[in-house]
Amino acid sequence: MKIFNIILIFILYFNVYPSFSSNDFNLVPIKVSNNVFVFVGANEDINNKNGGAISNTGFIIGDDSILVIDAGPSYIYASNVIEIIKSFSDLPIKYLVVTHHHADHSFGISRYLEMDVEIIMAPAELKRYLKYGNRSLKQLRDLIGEEWFLDTKINSFQYKEKKYPVSLNLGNRNILIELYEKGHSDGDLIIKDKISSTLFVGDLVFSGRAPTIPHANINNWKNYIDLISKKNWNYLIPGHGNIIKNKDELLPTKNWITFIDKTAKEASISGISALEIFNEGLPDFIKEYKLAKETWYRDLPILINKYEFD
Amino acid sequence: MYWEKFLIKYILFICVFIYSGVTLSGPFSDFKAGAELSEELSSSPTAKRNTPNSDSLVQSIDALNPKNSSVWRELQDNLLGNDANVLFVDDIKLIMQDYIEEAHKVPLIVTLPKRLYNFKNFILIIENNPIQQAMSIRPYRLIESLGMNIRLEDDSPVRAAVQGDNGIWYVGSKMAFVASVGGCSTPACDPSVEVCETGTIGKIAIKQYEREAGAERIKLKVTHPMETGFVTDLQGEIIPEYFVKNIHVDDNKGAIADITTFAALSSDPVILLDLPKKGQSVRVHVKDSLGLEFFSYDSNTM
Ligand SMILES: [Zn+2]
Repeated sequence: MKIFNIILIFILYFNVYPSFSSNDFNLVPIKVSNNVFVFVGANEDINNKNGGAISNTGFIIGDDSILVIDAGPSYIYASNVIEIIKSFSDLPIKYLVVTHHHADHSFGISRYLEMDVEIIMAPAELKRYLKYGNRSLKQLRDLIGEEWFLDTKINSFQYKEKKYPVSLNLGNRNILIELYEKGHSDGDLIIKDKISSTLFVGDLVFSGRAPTIPHANINNWKNYIDLISKKNWNYLIPGHGNIIKNKDELLPTKNWITFIDKTAKEASISGISALEIFNEGLPDFIKEYKLAKETWYRDLPILINKYEFD
Repeated sequence: MYWEKFLIKYILFICVFIYSGVTLSGPFSDFKAGAELSEELSSSPTAKRNTPNSDSLVQSIDALNPKNSSVWRELQDNLLGNDANVLFVDDIKLIMQDYIEEAHKVPLIVTLPKRLYNFKNFILIIENNPIQQAMSIRPYRLIESLGMNIRLEDDSPVRAAVQGDNGIWYVGSKMAFVASVGGCSTPACDPSVEVCETGTIGKIAIKQYEREAGAERIKLKVTHPMETGFVTDLQGEIIPEYFVKNIHVDDNKGAIADITTFAALSSDPVILLDLPKKGQSVRVHVKDSLGLEFFSYDSNTM
């Protein structure tokens, strides 16, 4: 555990004081269990210091092959990840599972397409990635700078229809991938490594920060969190934030989405605008969350708008 | 001549008065970001603004000063009239976010002081936009506050010019910073934060909400692309401008407001009107720049 903490401090240190050789992600993998690792993203909004590396990337090493969870925000990020994985094992990366289409999880795909990697993604999310990827990429370039997105492209690729749940074998290592439709996104993938009993849940769970809701179906999402909570797991890797070992740590995600949903529904009934809610200041309840303000400002109007004219 | 000098002095005095107030409370005072603001601004450095900080506050005070604006004088002459009597005031409140991430769709609410409920004309001006006039309203009833969604191309003073029944134009201002430029020149929907399916053009939704003591809030939404003429499609072709030009709001007692709109309003524009007296069943008639007309009611039975 000491080592774990030291690594964490290192990560925090690098994120707070980024070296100015830009595009350096300073990635340090954290060992979750034997042959299961995660790069924990910065618990921040996307900015020109973190280069968009705000979500978690995992990898699982079997006896024959390696599976990577989430592509990260860019080609360069994915290259860094692949380099580090190679320093751990000579085995081929056979699968990349993209938990959903959001840029911070998917824009590294172009790097994996240069290798012989099968990409697994929910069809609905692949569609969104292809349809909106280029516009979103342009906005990110404008936002934090071209240099972070060199060689990052949105390409379509050979895609094998899957029937979920999908079972994979990495060589004495069984992986189960489940599809949770219309939760945080239209199709969130959950990856379970059976041996270590580790669950990668993508953005169905946020740890230590406010969850984001722009493409979410909040009712389903709440149910999914309950389902995840009832499953057996030793380690749960959220889409953002640190490794979770305790079921109680799922509550903040559920509480936030419940609260923002309720606020938006009430506003849409009474005709109150998001601005007027903002003008009242941040509700005490949400102040405990990191990125509360940014997320609240960004997501509440989207949600009110969705309910208001429905 | 003397009178003119006096007026200029008076305006200057008012400006100094307002801006000294601004220095104390910040131009953000109507939006309770207060001291937290600099933290918010510095938390998200972007390519455009590397280290936004409390300097932004000073910047915005400077930018809001019409004397420092290279465009205001001309705008004033063009939109309010060459010999308009203009006063900058702080009791017209523009409630909007200080730091805007989604520049395509920026919600704004303008609250008026009681003495202006019976205003004659209202013009919303965004100084640094390619389309500087977002909308104007000629009301037929008392209006307490108004709301709309606008586009911002870049950081800009946003000004609400309200003409009182004495003919004087009262102007309330607010500085808005955008995270990434291009609210008018990039496609309207940001797929990274919202669902971008486009709806049926001309669909009108009206909502009426009870407010206290017989007062009412009307919100209406017109589904329309509001193309600015500054956006290119994926083939690099300019998408021609196409926008809602006029929104006429009435009820069974007659006209409520006549609204002239431009493509500086966001796509699927939403208009909010707070009336101190409740309207009856509110109806809307919309005309767009291609001459199409849309009704929230069956226009044949008129
Ligand atoms: Zn996400």
